[in-house]
Amino acid sequence: MKLAEFLQNAQDFLPILLQGAWVTIQITVLSFLLSSVLGLVLALLKLSPIRALSWAASTVINVIRGLPIIVQLFYIYFVLPEMGIHLTAFQAGVIGMGIAYSAYQAENFRTGIIAVDQGQREASEALGMRSFMMMRRVILPQAFRIALPPYGNTLVMMLKDSSLVSTITVAEMTRQGQLIASSTFQNMTVYTLVALLYLLMSLPLVYGLRRMEQRLSRRKKA
Amino acid sequence: MIKISQLQKNYGDHRVLHGVDLEVQKGEVVCLIGPSGSGKSTLLRCINALETYEGGSIQAFGETVQRGSKTVHTLRSRMGMVFQRFNLFPHRTVLENVMEGPLYVKGEPAAQVRSEALALLDKVGLAEKADAYPEQLSGGQQQRVAIARALAMKPEAMLFDEPTSALDPELVGDVLQVMRTLADEGMTMIVVTHEMGFAREVADRVCFLHGGYLVETGPADEVLGNPQHPRTQDFLRRVLHPTTSTRSQP
Repeated sequence: MKLAEFLQNAQDFLPILLQGAWVTIQITVLSFLLSSVLGLVLALLKLSPIRALSWAASTVINVIRGLPIIVQLFYIYFVLPEMGIHLTAFQAGVIGMGIAYSAYQAENFRTGIIAVDQGQREASEALGMRSFMMMRRVILPQAFRIALPPYGNTLVMMLKDSSLVSTITVAEMTRQGQLIASSTFQNMTVYTLVALLYLLMSLPLVYGLRRMEQRLSRRKKA
Repeated sequence: MIKISQLQKNYGDHRVLHGVDLEVQKGEVVCLIGPSGSGKSTLLRCINALETYEGGSIQAFGETVQRGSKTVHTLRSRMGMVFQRFNLFPHRTVLENVMEGPLYVKGEPAAQVRSEALALLDKVGLAEKADAYPEQLSGGQQQRVAIARALAMKPEAMLFDEPTSALDPELVGDVLQVMRTLADEGMTMIVVTHEMGFAREVADRVCFLHGGYLVETGPADEVLGNPQHPRTQDFLRRVLHPTTSTRSQP
């Protein structure tokens, strides 16, 4: 294939693919936020001294981890309407990805919380803190630092896996690529562009996260 | 002010405190000494409910101390605690560490808390380190910040759990000096320590624990200078003997 032809096609396809990239970013950011909140709740429940809560959280986490993400997305998009819950493809995508990844986020947070030194709890208790304040002021800020590498890793994985919502017709980048490719048969051009655009989003993210980790660990050692 | 009677504490099947009685008056400085595993740290940790206990009772300021009770948070905020490993909050500056309690637990106004915290840092000789992070300080400096953090709550009593045991020998003196000043100001203090020189000089009373029993208690000079119980004699001989111990005598 000639370079000139590639560039000509790229010029035609890029605006549509960039629209898709914008949807990809929205899906990623929103479902990442949702998975963080759900994951934190699941982590705190799993660490709860009340057995029933801890058991319930573990069960939820295991069920989510045991299901393929695509099946979860299909269930939310195709089955929930039969129960009277109607969601747009975009909403179903965000909720599905958010729930699917909350199990991994829960593990990230739980590991971070457990890794905070026991002495920090005792020092907070000795100051008269109640458990909510201790979590908010002492444990979680430190747990977040410990959990930052796996947390950032999850964000990168979610950026890539957001392509899964193309299966429920969300017009994100992979879906847009598919549509262009099937109507123009320019498979190589389209998917090369799609791959490049994913790298353009994920690589800066990877480098940015690494710098953030380095900055935090430097400050800790300074 | 603090009254412990027939305190029993188990770890699983293992009993670590066998009915300990101890009463501490306002303004009194009591040192708990004894070999490791004697239960002295456990006793101290029971007093502010970091540990549960299985038998007997602890009263502080006229209220019962028990982990999980409704009043435990209030009781704890009336007692300062200093740990062997300092346990400063590593993600906050020295000043923020000292302000944390009064600002967030007591909800006092920020400006007042700040000026009081700076005064406390000045008192422990670390005013110029206010904006440093704990990792940037030596162990001795961290421990003095920890004392300031506890004092910021304006406690009615201070508990010290081997405050100098994790320090390099040359840093011990500064921490003991701060504690000496507190004692002189009339603070009620319970101190678990291996520093016999400090105990002799500062303590009103010394309690020797062994195997979970309070073996001997009395004025510092008597217990340390003329111990009655063979266990106490044996312990002091080993601790004070220069060839078998590396502990410094200030």
